[in-house]
Amino acid sequence: MSADMAGDDRRDGRRETGAGAHPILEAKDLVVNFYTYEGVVKALNGVSLTIPHGITFGLVGESGCGKSVFVRSLMGLVQEPGRIDGGELIFYPGPPSGDGPVQGVDLLRQPESYLQRIRGDRISMIFQEPNAALNPIMTVGEQVAESFLFHRVREMSEKIAADLGAGGGRTTGPVKAVLRVLCGISARNPHARVLRVLNRVPVLKRWRRRLLREALSRSAELLGRLGISNPEEVIRRYPHNLSGGMKHRIVIAMALACKPVLLIADEATSNLDVTIQAQILDLLKGLKETEISSVLLITHDLGVVAETCDRVGVMYAGNVCEIANVGELFRNPRHPYTQALLNAVPKMAQTGPLESIEGTVPNLVDPPPGCRFHPRCPNAGEPCREVFPEMREMGVGHRVACYFPVEDIG
Amino acid sequence: MGPFILRRLFFLIFVLFGVSVLIFGILMSFSPERRAAAYITTPQQAKDLPRLVRTYGLDDPFYIQYGRWVGEVAAGNLGWSLVAAQPVWTAFWMYFPVTLELNLYAAPLIIWFGIWLGTRSAIHRDDWFDHLSRVFAIIGWSLPTFLFALVLLMVFYGYFRMFPPGIIGDETALYIMNHPESFSRYTGMVTVDGILNGNWRVALDGLRHLVLPVTTQVIVVVALLMRVMRSGMIEELSKDYVITARAKGADDRTVHLRHARKNALIPVVTVAGQLVAFSMEGSIAVEVVFNRQGMGWWLAESATQLDMPVLMGMCLFMGLVFVITNLVIDILYAAIDPRIRLV
Ligand SMILES: Nc1ncnc2c1ncn2[C@@H]1O[C@H](COP(=O)(O)OP(=O)(O)O)[C@@H](O)[C@H]1O
Ligand code: SF4
Ligand SMILES: [Mg+2]
Repeated sequence: MSADMAGDDRRDGRRETGAGAHPILEAKDLVVNFYTYEGVVKALNGVSLTIPHGITFGLVGESGCGKSVFVRSLMGLVQEPGRIDGGELIFYPGPPSGDGPVQGVDLLRQPESYLQRIRGDRISMIFQEPNAALNPIMTVGEQVAESFLFHRVREMSEKIAADLGAGGGRTTGPVKAVLRVLCGISARNPHARVLRVLNRVPVLKRWRRRLLREALSRSAELLGRLGISNPEEVIRRYPHNLSGGMKHRIVIAMALACKPVLLIADEATSNLDVTIQAQILDLLKGLKETEISSVLLITHDLGVVAETCDRVGVMYAGNVCEIANVGELFRNPRHPYTQALLNAVPKMAQTGPLESIEGTVPNLVDPPPGCRFHPRCPNAGEPCREVFPEMREMGVGHRVACYFPVEDIG
Repeated sequence: MGPFILRRLFFLIFVLFGVSVLIFGILMSFSPERRAAAYITTPQQAKDLPRLVRTYGLDDPFYIQYGRWVGEVAAGNLGWSLVAAQPVWTAFWMYFPVTLELNLYAAPLIIWFGIWLGTRSAIHRDDWFDHLSRVFAIIGWSLPTFLFALVLLMVFYGYFRMFPPGIIGDETALYIMNHPESFSRYTGMVTVDGILNGNWRVALDGLRHLVLPVTTQVIVVVALLMRVMRSGMIEELSKDYVITARAKGADDRTVHLRHARKNALIPVVTVAGQLVAFSMEGSIAVEVVFNRQGMGWWLAESATQLDMPVLMGMCLFMGLVFVITNLVIDILYAAIDPRIRLV
């Protein structure tokens, strides 16, 4: 099913959002199961979703519906005992170049080493709990610098080599020559085995320190760009010496270090008080203009969606049930679940978490057959209890998985 | 850090006072005659127990006897050890190096091996390596030390004649005795003195006698450390900062060693420190089975013979080791964990 539909999605993305026409990521029939003692938790039940280039895509749904599992599987970071049991994840790492076709790679069929190169470089993620997301015993600088040390060694080596050539610093004569050789090696292959051995030799360790210093200065510069005052001092601090909002910025800095094409924010602002939340959202909005091309924003706050997103996907119990551009979704929801969500928030633009809707989220070990929403659905009919409804196009760029959708109000 | 150490050493006085009062009190519950009996060396004296009691003031009130002991200790006199037939202080420097030497080899092995095993089996959780090392840990933990020591001795000495019991071979002992001018006993530890004197024959002979006791000690004790390390590592690996590191593109090595292991080491420091402190008192089973007359052996003998000065001296020693160990643990803590301030 998915190839054609993804094509449709791409087309409407072009027409409706007016932003990038190319997809940056296509999930097709993604299936993720958790093999627990209580049984197999069917967390993602064939999720298909296309994120167009250059937009902010919102993903909403009640807690436990699989939003986090979905985004973690995008990065190949599904935790034990979870397993990706099927589907495709086509990622388009390069920038869209003119009208030529962009080469996609199926992330599910790439080796771990490839994913390590992608993570934090092309796709990054920021997390809900900045407290837990930072390593308590490493300095802020060390943690931000890691992003550069994982992905920018080549570039930094070239810079250091150039600096050494320019004749700055205290290093003299033969040591300098050796360091330049090391820079040469690492500029060619940052993961060379020789380097790992040589890095242990005392005098040569200086090379490693030099690299670290370069990464730290880049980190400080990055923090400065994110509006942190006194970054030189902040990078020497430990997480427990920072305020909550500050930690949040650090987590964002780590994700932005390498200017990813896709930034995933998993409930990144959920636990913040309103002012800080607004600051962080503004920061993300601003960054989207300058540093990153696309954002995948997960939230359970429809107010945030209305304010920041271009396009929205609604998830329920491991399925995507409706995808539409943001105006369309709020004005003309077609899936009964989406409508229930919207009704739970009295006024559309009002900020606030979702009120609960009637019934409970089904147990994903033994989910209801057919449409997983049918026990709670006012429109439920015969086919709903037996066969899962396929996604269908019900309007321009408006896709719904439902047999008896809510009436179209145009 | 200076004031911190001074404060801790000041605290030492109270610890020593506390434990010595406690042990002294327990020993006082034996009747004066029982305690006097410990001083008997001839049948003649046995008839005169009451006189012994009077001479040593054994029926004086508790605080007078305790005060007398404190006075002697303050004057630098720890008393006379009947078991060793030497002053306690002199005997201590005979027995302590034997125990210290064993731990000099066992402790680093226990710490290194425990951390390595725990880390590996946490990383390879539930595969063959993990199962194997856990079986190994359970065996090491539940097997009585003396039984394990005896089996090793029977196989490697009784059958293979490779690793004899004792501290030093007869020939080597004679050689040392006959060459006092060319072989000086700097530390009392055979292997260390051998190396310091540049005498490899002595060093190797000492090492040969150490293989089995060190092996026993390591296998019996490493299980605890390994389990603490393993569970700590598993806990750390499930934390969010590990996902953050992976999301940055970290490879397994970086995630395991740089992020998780360093955090998991924090509880391990405490356990390792306490294990080392306990080991300094000597393992009675190991020292008895392998016939190494060290602290454990001395303590066991003194306890059964009610050798009061030794028991009191030993409790001072244990208090000292306890306080110093905790000091070192706290300093290491602060070195690993920036959240901890030394106050
Ligand atoms: N580590 C895990 N073990 C077992 N089940 C899990 C695990 N992580 C997530 N799940 C299951 O996957 C489903 C989706 O969870 P999640 O993606 O975290 O929801 P949310 O939409 O709130 O982010 C939940 O029903 C949960 O039970
Ligand atoms: S498919 Fe049926 S049960 Fe599911 S949402 Fe639509 S009407 Fe309701
Ligand atoms: Mg979540």
